[in-house]
Amino acid sequence: MLEETQSSAAAVGAPAHAPPTVRVREVSMDFGTGSKAVDRASFDLSLGRFLTILGPSGSGKTTLLRMIAGFQRPTSGHILIGGKPVDAVPPDRRSIGMVFQKLALFPHMTAAENIAFPLKMRRFDPAFIPTRVRRFLELVRLDGYGNRRIHELSGGQQQRIAIARALVFEPALLLLDEPLAALDRKLREEMQLEFRRIQKELGVTTINVTHDQREALVVSDEIIIMDGGFIHQHASPALMYRSPADEFVARFIGVSSLIEGTATVGGLMLAGVTLAGSLSGSLQPGMAARGVVRAEQVRIARPEVSLAGCETVLLGTIADVIFEGERLLYVVEVPALSQNILVYHHDPESAAVFATDAPVSLGWRARDMIVFEARP
Amino acid sequence: MISASQRFWFWAIVWVSVVTLSAPTVVVLGASFTAGNIIAFPPEGLSLRWYEKIALARDLQQAFLRSLIVSSICMLIAVPAGTLAGIALARYQLRCFNGVQMYLLLPFTIPLIGSGIGLMMMFGRLGALGSLWPVGFACAVINLPFIIWSVSASAAQLDPDLEHAAANCGAGRVQTFLYVTLPAVMPGVITGSLLMFILAMNEFLVSLLLVDARTVTLPVQIYNSIRSIITPDLAAVSVVFIVMAALAIAFLDRLVGLEIFLKSK
Repeated sequence: MLEETQSSAAAVGAPAHAPPTVRVREVSMDFGTGSKAVDRASFDLSLGRFLTILGPSGSGKTTLLRMIAGFQRPTSGHILIGGKPVDAVPPDRRSIGMVFQKLALFPHMTAAENIAFPLKMRRFDPAFIPTRVRRFLELVRLDGYGNRRIHELSGGQQQRIAIARALVFEPALLLLDEPLAALDRKLREEMQLEFRRIQKELGVTTINVTHDQREALVVSDEIIIMDGGFIHQHASPALMYRSPADEFVARFIGVSSLIEGTATVGGLMLAGVTLAGSLSGSLQPGMAARGVVRAEQVRIARPEVSLAGCETVLLGTIADVIFEGERLLYVVEVPALSQNILVYHHDPESAAVFATDAPVSLGWRARDMIVFEARP
Repeated sequence: MISASQRFWFWAIVWVSVVTLSAPTVVVLGASFTAGNIIAFPPEGLSLRWYEKIALARDLQQAFLRSLIVSSICMLIAVPAGTLAGIALARYQLRCFNGVQMYLLLPFTIPLIGSGIGLMMMFGRLGALGSLWPVGFACAVINLPFIIWSVSASAAQLDPDLEHAAANCGAGRVQTFLYVTLPAVMPGVITGSLLMFILAMNEFLVSLLLVDARTVTLPVQIYNSIRSIITPDLAAVSVVFIVMAALAIAFLDRLVGLEIFLKSK
């Protein structure tokens, strides 16, 4: 039920007639450790789209990717690539390029030999291989590096060779298994954009796996959020950010405050205070619930200023101010809730910066706090 | 900062170690160049006459040739077996892992004389004593753990996804082994092969039990000579051994680099 609404949301922007390149149908993986690593995962991915599977470690995202690659066989369910079931197809017969976590470049070969390897194994015309290898070295901006050994290349250059090796035979699908996780932040952000550029240039359907929410939002056309083997939501980055399907998604993406209470008509009630919010899904008044409000959607002002348009207004004291460069994060102690609320303040150069212990008033609109059913 | 007295003691330890470790080699090297008739250090005058003598000695030449054959047989058996075992040990989760680990410690725990007698009885029963192949086979069996170590140390350093990457590139199982796994562990295979060659070349005790008068190997030949009279030609033969080991190490350094060899131990 949840999934249907989400996959229709995901299809927004994709041409309606394009057949899905990848279909994952009710796929489960049980390693026999008690809980399933992947539990009845289903999704479709259309031609040329960039999907990121986002989740914490142990969420089953890598297992799902490895089943698509063919390294592991699902306990149940089916995977179709290009319309054909691949359940009985070994990995070397699937038309899939993959960039591995530690890259897995062949250490005894040069950069060019690494890129030529899939062409040789897939019996491309030998006369045409050098031209193709050169074209892909250019694509990843490493022309002239073909004769280098792998250990003579920098981390970023090795990444590029791994991408070229994965794409050189023009696979139907590209898989990325957290290849950027080990890089430092600057190089990682550079490579994210590079992946995006190459993917757009070749138009190859891509599934990326990561635990980095920023990366997911930056590079993807669609995002799947997984936890405990379940797919929680499948949507475009903007939709995922604006209307998370459940509390897990709301907490995983962005910086939010969590308020425990009881659902009421029009919001959340706790200790005699009613906070304006919008109830999600099947939540009924009277049920135990959690309100989630994003740090950038809370407005902050001096206590005497009235926060027009905010259905919820609370008084508090600044407990901490964290400088993050392009913005400030206030930790505001709110006695009425007996907890802290996180508030982003952009434009930290302005004069209206609050100091620790300053009294403030906070406010948000009803639609900016989503109230979810409280799960243990 | 290191004080002057600390510096003195560090260098003292270094020099004591260097002298102790190199003394046997230096002594035998010096003794081999003597011009006199008895083995002595320092040598009495300098000459190459003992090298001339061993170069012309037919029994030594033949023993040397036999040792080369034994080493080749040993490598022929041990290199394929050790390579496959080494890769399997490092790359796959084996059910009998502990048993294999025990086996790898055997060369340090079982005295060679024990395995030698066992092998002698076995080959005697088979009526195979008197030919060279049982000696080569025996050397392969008792030294196999060394090549397994060397290969598995090499294989353990590889990316666990290397074979997946090969499959992803379209390589089947056999192609993956030939084009990816085997070349990637080649440093370990080369190291192990040279080790097996030298060990089989030098193997004395097990050879002694398995050879007869027609099949003496070089170490046994030298031992037989010592029992009669110790002449400087034995020092010259020993120098030939040392030179061979040095060549093997130089060869190894050229092929794979010594860091890998030192790391694999």
